[in-house]
Amino acid sequence: MKFLPMIFRNVFRNKIRSLFTAASIAVSLFLVVTLYSLITAQEESTDANSQANRVAVLHEAGLAGNLPISYVNRISRVPGVIHTIPMSWFGGNYREETTQFPQFATDAKELFNVYPELTIPADELEAWQNDKTGCVVGALIARNKGWKIGSKIPLQGNIYPANLELTVRGIYDGPPTMDRGWVLFHFDYFDESLKKLNYPNSGNAGLVMIRAESAAKMPEVMQAITAAFESSDAPVKPMTEKDFAASFMEMMGNVRGFIRMTSTAVVLALLCVAANTMAMSVRERTREIALLKAIGFNQSTILGMFLAESVTIGVLGGILGALGAKLLFYSVDLSSIDAGLGMFYIPWRTALWGLALAAVVGLLSGLIPAWRAAHVSVIEGLRKVV
Amino acid sequence: MIPIKYNYRSLMARKVGSLMTVLGVGMVVWASIFAFGLSAGLDKTLEIAADPLDVIVLRKGSTSEAVSAVTESAAREITALPGIETDKYGNPLAASELVVFAYLPRRGSTQPVNVSVRGVDPMSRNLREGLEIVEGRDFTPGVREAIVSSAMSQRFQRLGLGDKFKVEGGEFEVVGIFEAGGGAVESEVWTDQPVLAQLAKRTGAMSSLQLRAASQADQERLVNRIQNDEQIDLKATTEVNYYAEQAQQSSLIKVVGYMIAFFLTIGAMFAVANTMYGAIASRAREIGTLRALGFGRLSILTAFVLESLVLCLAGAVLGCLGALAITFFLGGIQTGTMNPGTFTEVAFSFDFGPRVLAQGAILAVVMGLVGGFLPALRAVRMKVVDALREV
Repeated sequence: MKFLPMIFRNVFRNKIRSLFTAASIAVSLFLVVTLYSLITAQEESTDANSQANRVAVLHEAGLAGNLPISYVNRISRVPGVIHTIPMSWFGGNYREETTQFPQFATDAKELFNVYPELTIPADELEAWQNDKTGCVVGALIARNKGWKIGSKIPLQGNIYPANLELTVRGIYDGPPTMDRGWVLFHFDYFDESLKKLNYPNSGNAGLVMIRAESAAKMPEVMQAITAAFESSDAPVKPMTEKDFAASFMEMMGNVRGFIRMTSTAVVLALLCVAANTMAMSVRERTREIALLKAIGFNQSTILGMFLAESVTIGVLGGILGALGAKLLFYSVDLSSIDAGLGMFYIPWRTALWGLALAAVVGLLSGLIPAWRAAHVSVIEGLRKVV
Repeated sequence: MIPIKYNYRSLMARKVGSLMTVLGVGMVVWASIFAFGLSAGLDKTLEIAADPLDVIVLRKGSTSEAVSAVTESAAREITALPGIETDKYGNPLAASELVVFAYLPRRGSTQPVNVSVRGVDPMSRNLREGLEIVEGRDFTPGVREAIVSSAMSQRFQRLGLGDKFKVEGGEFEVVGIFEAGGGAVESEVWTDQPVLAQLAKRTGAMSSLQLRAASQADQERLVNRIQNDEQIDLKATTEVNYYAEQAQQSSLIKVVGYMIAFFLTIGAMFAVANTMYGAIASRAREIGTLRALGFGRLSILTAFVLESLVLCLAGAVLGCLGALAITFFLGGIQTGTMNPGTFTEVAFSFDFGPRVLAQGAILAVVMGLVGGFLPALRAVRMKVVDALREV
């Protein structure tokens, strides 16, 4: 402990070098933490959402298949199911924008029962339920697009030939683990628009989302639902909300492997450069180290001092990079760039993991230089002109 | 000018330090090439998919084939238009095709994803000359048989030769494996269109009409003609535009790739600057001597920036070699992701072509120039008298 001031002074002795090393670690860790958060943020929110015991019922052929709307009623009668809604992805284009945000046709009466985490003022909910072409929108997307109660949202069909003309009747909010970027409207309005055009696939829902009575009942409920439609024209495949979210990740391909590989390369590169700078500072101080040894410092103290120095620099970089990333993504709203990024944040465990990684990089990079310092020969060291 | 040999020898004098920096830069260049190679590979796949004279006709408002519908009568009307290339028997090169999804798990996974299954017309072959059966045989029309691209066959369960998979409730047997020289077709399963249409209850309307124009001018005329025909009421685009639009949808991959490269470059810049600061600090006397000998400030600045550039270029060479080694020893990396334009799997390989390697090398040059400049400036700023006195 008594060496702390000395270690600290040594860290800041060559300010530029320490700063650059820390900066190099910080920038790289910022990247690694951000990349990993793409996975962990999603995991964390699905974990949080699985409290609600939701099950997504899909066509056996996945999201490409359609379920007859009558399934909503039939599924709601399965014992253990307490709330049921249809969810149809509309996938329309808003004005001239090329990217799409989530738009679902659903049931206004049951939606907030299936998603109890979402909140909406009672009067706004009522206004939505009473307006056939009304919609409710997430707080995040409302802010980004500048929508207020009464705003018009024209949607041009892409998957479906119909165009919708929606009016905002309410704005819902919720915890950060929920997507607050949805636009939700009445299934009836959506379906009637299709029927008017004699669209062959009207009367269908993309999927049915249910809430089960309890987590324990979920497997039973899922089995019962599968069995109920087994021999019908449109057999179904129920999956827990968690698996459903995982299936989206799966579609993206081997994201995990790619992130892991990039991060490994980054950490290895960091080790090289950090070890190099530590070696430089040991080399410069050879004489000084010899002097310390001459006045009685033993090897392990010197080893410890240099290791502590490199860990300090690593941790400094980690605080800047990992915690900086946490802070940055906390204060910057990414959903204005891409609607899909609205839910992105750095989970605490990833930020702290990044900090730990920085400390490990500091420690490992200091190992060889510190060992060399500890084994400086007193006589030669004192004689050495650097 | 200070000869470059001076820099080379200086670097060699501190082998370990130089090597560490080169390794670090090499890693960074390698990782960046990887990130660039991923998005370049995806773009390339969508790019080669397009024939410059091909036109694709879809329902108005739809951006992908799977959500489109083109009625048979409209298709007949369009096929009769002038300006469409003909085969040797004089038939117009136009094919109505049906695209549906199969829901299959990748190998080593249990979670299924969407795979495009294309019901093709006999004429479809003439629109994709590159397609070749490499294993097994072609499917027999009228029977539930399919051919699969070799990339998809390797990536997906139930798509191996002789396997059976389900689509639209019917079971198909894989009787052949094809290759098409890259491109989007290599992410597809092909089968007979009438068989698929019957299963999917899609009679009277297919997903798209593909056709080849006789010339550039004809292509323009055809697109305009179809676009403006209120009766037909369909959307025609050149295939090049169609795939370019899809490539644009996958911009997130590109953004992430550039973000990786950007941050890595900044991080490496600091590291390079550190190495150069170290090199200059320990050579203060040398620099003083050089100045005393009459070398100008500019030539010293150049010498040190050059030195850092040499370091980084060595790193770039290492990084590029690392990427080439993957192509050489592993035969490239096959991967796949969801095409956000169609929601289906697109199989592609990382592209470590000259352009991607050059991008990585450019990063290294930037690292060298920026990372070396500040330290070099310090070397130049040293007073000769003080520098000579340094130990």
